[in-house]
Amino acid sequence: MTESLPLLKGTLDVLVLKALAWAPMHGFEIASWLENKSSGSFDVDDGALYYALHRMEERGLIASEWRLTDNNRRARYYKIRPAGRTHLRAEGANLARYARALTEILSTSG
Amino acid sequence: MSSRRLFQFGGSKRTARNEIREELQYHLDARIAHLTARGMSSEAAREEALRRLGGSLADAERRLGASAERKERRLNVRDRFLDLLGDARYAVRGLLRRPGFTTVAVLTLAIGIGANTAIYSAVDALLLRSLPFRDPGRLMDIVQVATDEGPTEWSRPKYLVFRDAQKSYATLALHRETPTTITGTEPERVSVEEVTTEYLKTLGVRLALGADFPPELDNGPGARKLALISDALWQRQFNADPDVVGKTLSLNNQPWEIIAVLPPGFRGLSGRAEALVNLTAREPDALNEAWSLEFSMIGRLKDGIAPAQAAAEARLLGPRIYEAFPMQQGTLTTSKVPEKWTAEARPLDSIRVASGLKRSLLVLFGAVGLVLLIACVNLANLLVARAVARRQEIAVRLAIGAGRTRLVRMLVTESVVLAALGGAVGLTVAMFGARLLSTINPQETLQVQGLDGGIGAVGFDSIRLDARALVFAFAVTVVVGLLFGLLPAVRATRADLTSDLKEGSNAARGGRRVGASRRWLVVAEVALALVLLAGSGLMIRSLGNLLSVDPGFDSSNMLTLRLSVPAGDVAPDSMPGFYEQLQSRIAAVPGVQQVALADCPPLNNGCNGTIMTFADRPQTSSGNAMVGVHWVSPSWFGTMRVPLERGRLFSETDRLGTPKVVLINEAAARAYFRGEDPIGKKVAVYQGGFHTGAEVIGIVGDVRFGTIDSTARPDVYISYGQARVPRMMIFVRTAGDPWAAASSVRAAIREFAPRNPLYDIRAMHERVATASAQTRFSAVLLGFFAAVALSLAVMGIYGVMSFAVAQRTGEIGIRMALGAGRSRVLRLVIRDGALLAATGVLIGFVAALGATRVMRSLLFEVTTTDPWTYVGMAVILAAAALLASWIPARRAAGIDPMVALRRG
Repeated sequence: MTESLPLLKGTLDVLVLKALAWAPMHGFEIASWLENKSSGSFDVDDGALYYALHRMEERGLIASEWRLTDNNRRARYYKIRPAGRTHLRAEGANLARYARALTEILSTSG
Repeated sequence: MSSRRLFQFGGSKRTARNEIREELQYHLDARIAHLTARGMSSEAAREEALRRLGGSLADAERRLGASAERKERRLNVRDRFLDLLGDARYAVRGLLRRPGFTTVAVLTLAIGIGANTAIYSAVDALLLRSLPFRDPGRLMDIVQVATDEGPTEWSRPKYLVFRDAQKSYATLALHRETPTTITGTEPERVSVEEVTTEYLKTLGVRLALGADFPPELDNGPGARKLALISDALWQRQFNADPDVVGKTLSLNNQPWEIIAVLPPGFRGLSGRAEALVNLTAREPDALNEAWSLEFSMIGRLKDGIAPAQAAAEARLLGPRIYEAFPMQQGTLTTSKVPEKWTAEARPLDSIRVASGLKRSLLVLFGAVGLVLLIACVNLANLLVARAVARRQEIAVRLAIGAGRTRLVRMLVTESVVLAALGGAVGLTVAMFGARLLSTINPQETLQVQGLDGGIGAVGFDSIRLDARALVFAFAVTVVVGLLFGLLPAVRATRADLTSDLKEGSNAARGGRRVGASRRWLVVAEVALALVLLAGSGLMIRSLGNLLSVDPGFDSSNMLTLRLSVPAGDVAPDSMPGFYEQLQSRIAAVPGVQQVALADCPPLNNGCNGTIMTFADRPQTSSGNAMVGVHWVSPSWFGTMRVPLERGRLFSETDRLGTPKVVLINEAAARAYFRGEDPIGKKVAVYQGGFHTGAEVIGIVGDVRFGTIDSTARPDVYISYGQARVPRMMIFVRTAGDPWAAASSVRAAIREFAPRNPLYDIRAMHERVATASAQTRFSAVLLGFFAAVALSLAVMGIYGVMSFAVAQRTGEIGIRMALGAGRSRVLRLVIRDGALLAATGVLIGFVAALGATRVMRSLLFEVTTTDPWTYVGMAVILAAAALLASWIPARRAAGIDPMVALRRG
């Protein structure tokens, strides 16, 4: 298992939205999803995750509702809203471009 | 959705902060479970989970807390709004389910709110809205006050004394409205104001074009003739010519130089002036006569001077002004001179409308308010009945924990929604009403009834449904919704849980309790309705009395019109000849029976007058007699059908140069010749050259020249052939409908005098109708309001009695089974209704006696306690009440005891 990476600023929102674009989830599911998808590369700070969730809910990007989990406990589920999808498309594309540019520069030999 | 919310209310308080704690706790548990599953010890797993959250649960909570609080606040607002929305939706659904009730309620409210808003728009325009001048609170109206005569106007010399002595006003101005003819290619009859130079400055009006009167103009008399024209005249006569300044306006064949155009909408204080002209353009003898009191005075207060200070100053200056021009016997032209004169200053706003008009408006406003109150009571009544039907639903809600305030709110929402619907429909009623009110012709209607004391600029035509009226309508709607909704809601939610949950049982107990409040509501309705009925009854009786007044002449089949003969058109000496020819031209028109002339028509709110002295009595100031003076053609009495009581009428031989003769009316004979025979007596009339003495040759019947409701005053008639003739009105007696002959009469006059405008063309019966228009208007409106009130009260009684019969079906069934006959049951129910009506009528009597006192000055030959009106209205109300309970009573009598008993 490689050393996990701290998340770069501004990327968490996009990643959370990407997770929710998949399906409505509660906070722990989101954290687990991110860890799994990155094969454990990303180390998600749980405090920051909830801060991001609440902030995005306030901005109307996502919505929440209380539901029962599979083992019958009440948990708060988040789901993406249309504004969130728009945000995801725009910011996701930006991030991808940024990553490509970064890769290109860093992979240039010499 | 709405009902779920309803039950949640008052349950567990899940605040946003609690939600955060629960959410984080869940996360912590899940993370620990995840980590232990990977083989960590529970101790280490807990530590790792907390580290990831940022140290401790409390820290994480705090970090999210700020946003949580914001959210909480928003949630609260949203919740409340959703509640309201839910209630409203629920209410609308409920109302749609009962279209009959809803229609009746909405229409009742629409009439109530609409009529209130319409009348309010009139009250606002005529009494409340600030005058259309700059800083109107600083404007004062200054009058002279003669001790016995009340306020009188000013002459220019007196004004100058006042102007130079006062210290309260920044500017002062005189003004006087004068009917004038615009001469030229298209003669037009218009109103013009003669003013001093600071008139516009005092009112604070800015010119649209050109410059104000130059100040040196005030040094007149005989100053240059300058005119400021109205925007309307500028458009009409000058095609909005931008170079109109310097052009000439021809008034009464005199050239006036136009120096400015007034702003659109401004027509002087009279509200109808087409031009302002400088009064100093008059000839010296028409301006320097100290006792020719014809101008009104306004002033703008200096900064820092209170209206009360100005009023005190005016009282102080009054006697000084009188002493500056001692009265000389024999020179007076207007009235006898009282001993003491003073001056008074009052805010211009306080004289904006005549007091009689103000009073009738306020009475109407009160009446329409009562109608709305009755409508509210009626709806409260219906809603109480509905609440009874819903008591089971309400009890269920209460039982499963809905708060009482919450339920009251839900029920009140329903009544507010109802009121809002009524208000919306009511706006249509208001729009229609306001438009109707604004078309009342103030000039004629009010003048004829002596109600023209106010400022012409504050007129009925300024009535409109503006933002202020809309705000009023909205406020009334909300208040009404709360008013009629609150009582039933509070009553209904005071339900007794256990008894109401058991369906049907104990209905009588609950029914009687609610029934009692409904009964009192009906009593209130009946009482209020009687107040309105009494008010309208008094007004209708007044109208009846007015219509049965004999004005002293025959008004049927008569056309009246005026011909403008500006000075200079006809030489003074050829005037009698001009008028004689005019009369013979008109007499030749087919359908015309008689033609006559007089200077002033009957029912004109007074005509020109002066004093009369008697040759055989010592001349003292108290011995002077006030008389109205009328110049007439000899044919006038025959044409008007005014009877000659004694002596002889004028003949064609009473002309300039023959011995002067006068006729007097019976009132003059009674007042000034008590116990003497007036015929052959010598009198002096201080007008038209008759102060040298004339002989009384006859007595004619009284004609009402003032208002229809005031008896004739002493009058003297002078034959127009024996005096310099002023403007004359033409009276044409026609064979049939006066309007049928109108066009040929006009054509004949046009042919004879093509350059003189004809105006004021009206049938005499229309003038008479106008004379009672104000009373008729009040009577019609009050009658309408009373009719609405009566039908609402009847509806109320009917509703309560039907309800009572339905409730007592079982009891009635038992009575009938025990042998009570149909008629007995009928009596039982009707007696119940009669009791309600009688209580209401009794209370209404007392209330009406108090309320109608404010109408005293509006009534004619009826006292406010007129027994016939009260008894009559009580009988109408009682009959309606009996009818309303008769229908449910018949239903009761038709009850089949077997069916009733089986059901009960």
